[in-house]
Amino acid sequence: MMVAELFTPFLDPVLRGPTIGCMLMCFAAALVGVFSLLRRQALIGEALSHAAYPGVIASAVAAAWLGFEADETVLALAIALGGGASALMGLWCIQLLERKLAVSSDAALCFILAIFFGFGITLASNAQFSYPLIYRSVQAYLYGQAATMTDSHIMLYGILAFVVAAVIALFFKELQLVTFDRAFAMTLGLPCRTIDTIFFLLLVASIVIGIRAVGVVLMSAMLIAPAVTARQFCKNLRSMLLLAGASGAFSGYLGNYLSSAISEILATAYPSQRLSMPTGPAIVVVAAALALFSLLFAPERGALIRLIRAILFRYRCLCENILKGIWKKENKKETLPHYTDEFSFKVLKSEHLCSAFSLYLALLQLVYNGWLQRAPGGFHLTAGGKIKAARIIRVHRLWEVYLADYLGVGAERVHLSAEEMEHVLTPELEKELTLLLDNPHHDPHHQLIPPHTIL
Amino acid sequence: MQCLLLQINPYSGATFFQFFLVLAARLWQCISGQSENLVLASDEIQLIVLVGVALCCSLLGVFLVLRRMTMLANALSHTILLGIVLAFLATQGMSTADHTTYIPLNITTLLLAALLTGVLTTFLTQFLVSSIRLQEDASTGLVFTALFALGIILVTLLTRNAHIGTEAVMGNADALQLSDGKLIWLLFAFNIVVIGLFFKEYTITTFDPALAVALGISPTLFSYLLMVQVSGSVIGAFRAVGVLMVLALLTGPPLIARQLCCRIKPLCWISMAVGAFCAVVGVALARHLLSAAGLAFSTAGLIVCVLAALFLLTVLYSFLRLQYQPQSE
Repeated sequence: MMVAELFTPFLDPVLRGPTIGCMLMCFAAALVGVFSLLRRQALIGEALSHAAYPGVIASAVAAAWLGFEADETVLALAIALGGGASALMGLWCIQLLERKLAVSSDAALCFILAIFFGFGITLASNAQFSYPLIYRSVQAYLYGQAATMTDSHIMLYGILAFVVAAVIALFFKELQLVTFDRAFAMTLGLPCRTIDTIFFLLLVASIVIGIRAVGVVLMSAMLIAPAVTARQFCKNLRSMLLLAGASGAFSGYLGNYLSSAISEILATAYPSQRLSMPTGPAIVVVAAALALFSLLFAPERGALIRLIRAILFRYRCLCENILKGIWKKENKKETLPHYTDEFSFKVLKSEHLCSAFSLYLALLQLVYNGWLQRAPGGFHLTAGGKIKAARIIRVHRLWEVYLADYLGVGAERVHLSAEEMEHVLTPELEKELTLLLDNPHHDPHHQLIPPHTIL
Repeated sequence: MQCLLLQINPYSGATFFQFFLVLAARLWQCISGQSENLVLASDEIQLIVLVGVALCCSLLGVFLVLRRMTMLANALSHTILLGIVLAFLATQGMSTADHTTYIPLNITTLLLAALLTGVLTTFLTQFLVSSIRLQEDASTGLVFTALFALGIILVTLLTRNAHIGTEAVMGNADALQLSDGKLIWLLFAFNIVVIGLFFKEYTITTFDPALAVALGISPTLFSYLLMVQVSGSVIGAFRAVGVLMVLALLTGPPLIARQLCCRIKPLCWISMAVGAFCAVVGVALARHLLSAAGLAFSTAGLIVCVLAALFLLTVLYSFLRLQYQPQSE
């Protein structure tokens, strides 16, 4: 049963630790990641997670030296504290470099990242020989090792994740204000530096929680990807936080599920080679895939959706321009001698500067809507088409009057703007313009404005 | 010279200053024509490769730091893993034989992988920023972590060695061969030629991109060229120092040099000198710690520690210089 399979990670005692633990960690990281994305400081998490590494090694070695290397809980706690202290030191150095030494922010981040990580590597290289057992368990923090997490880990990380969420809830208004309008916050007398410090402490806490799941090197993905996903769907901060948290937790769950499922498949397919899929990178790939999907397909902001909307809009403009063009020519015909071949496909194509395919589609659409009819000389407007075309012309010329007479723009410059606005103005705006301009009869080029007709 | 490792390393047991004495003695032997019996010790191979890496990276780092492209270089140093894995796949296929930790790839494949990865990373990041309208920092972060995660998955699946990822990050200076040295010095020569030829273009696109465009010089072209050079150097340095230490060598020497001078040509020279100095001191220090205290440390890690110490000294120096400056306000 597929559905029952989805719930086994929560019930199976071996899988429970990694799955729930990862979900909690990614949830906490996603919440903090929302703020770091909105503050445009998305990469500071990257620098701080690398800066945490020497602390992780040093505290693990200290724990081993004191004889605690077998006690998982104490080790995890020690690593959390050591990593946190080291990350905070890295943060302090970054701020010192940026403020006192005038180093640009990206160079400061990269420098501290590299130096601290280098310290960590140096310590680890010695620990490899002096404390080999602890070295093995600490290497788990480089790329994450969710698979060996137990219920005590769930407890520890659950408490930490709850603390992160509680602090965000407690300081929600202040964090929101300082993120979106720092100047206003300062005028209100809010202690902005203190709130910044709270944010950075939250960041360090979430990093320290998260490095067991995805590791030091990949941590910044869990700060950025869920926040990016949420941003595409949400317009206010509360829903963004909720969606980011959900997306992070989901990535944690699916990453774990995929890594165990694929490892099983590989074990049965190639049993002699003992292949396995690592969990941390799997979680990151899931989160990044979610982010990519939301970047492309989110209803309002998705890039592909916007592209499709733009194409459809251009298509609509083409249809309306065709109607307009034919209306103008038919009106001229009434006063001038009869022109043949004016409404054929070839002439229309040369006038409207589009591909033959789009013109063909547009004409098909207009005939289908009942605004154009096919005749031996080409295409002509139906009664309904005449009304629609007249409305577009009316809106165009009203806008020209608005720009020229009301706003004082020169008559020679209003045409281009009106060409764009005629497709956009709604009937309500048309009514307002009529009222405002006192129902004018002529536009700045002395052409008649078609009267208002009820469609 | 042959690239064998001596059974008896002439440097074993040497402390810091003895290291330089032995080095000088062997150099003298080499210069005065007794080179038939001389084979390179592992320490000397390390020196050759690490000094080459440091020189390469310090020079490129100057332009990266000034153009604020260091985060892109950081991204590149991560995605290069994916490039190497894909190159490995492309050349050797899904072989089921047991693999060692060292992936033997020929140089052209490696450099091609570097080129493609560099262009891919830069292109994807720019695409996300301009077409998908994502913030620049978020798009950099998203692109390189996703590609790096893919790389780690592929590497773990292919080599069935969970520690390959560690080596990719830490490097393994003790397993260096002379061929690595040849590659890195070739890359350094390439860098010197390119930067020497295009120095004016690099300078103007760094300091005044608008003027460069007005003059008909494309800043984008030189950004891409710089990234190609960086990718080459990262791949060359991969086995020696691992990907993350390359970042220290890219950012550290320019920042140190920046504290000491403010014109671009001295900046380049001082940066290269600082890089080479740290590499030499790092190798000597590694030997010293092994001989004197019996502690084994990673050479690349020690180079980074020396860089950090030098940076602190430079900061102290400039701070003191400010303090004792004559009051000319």
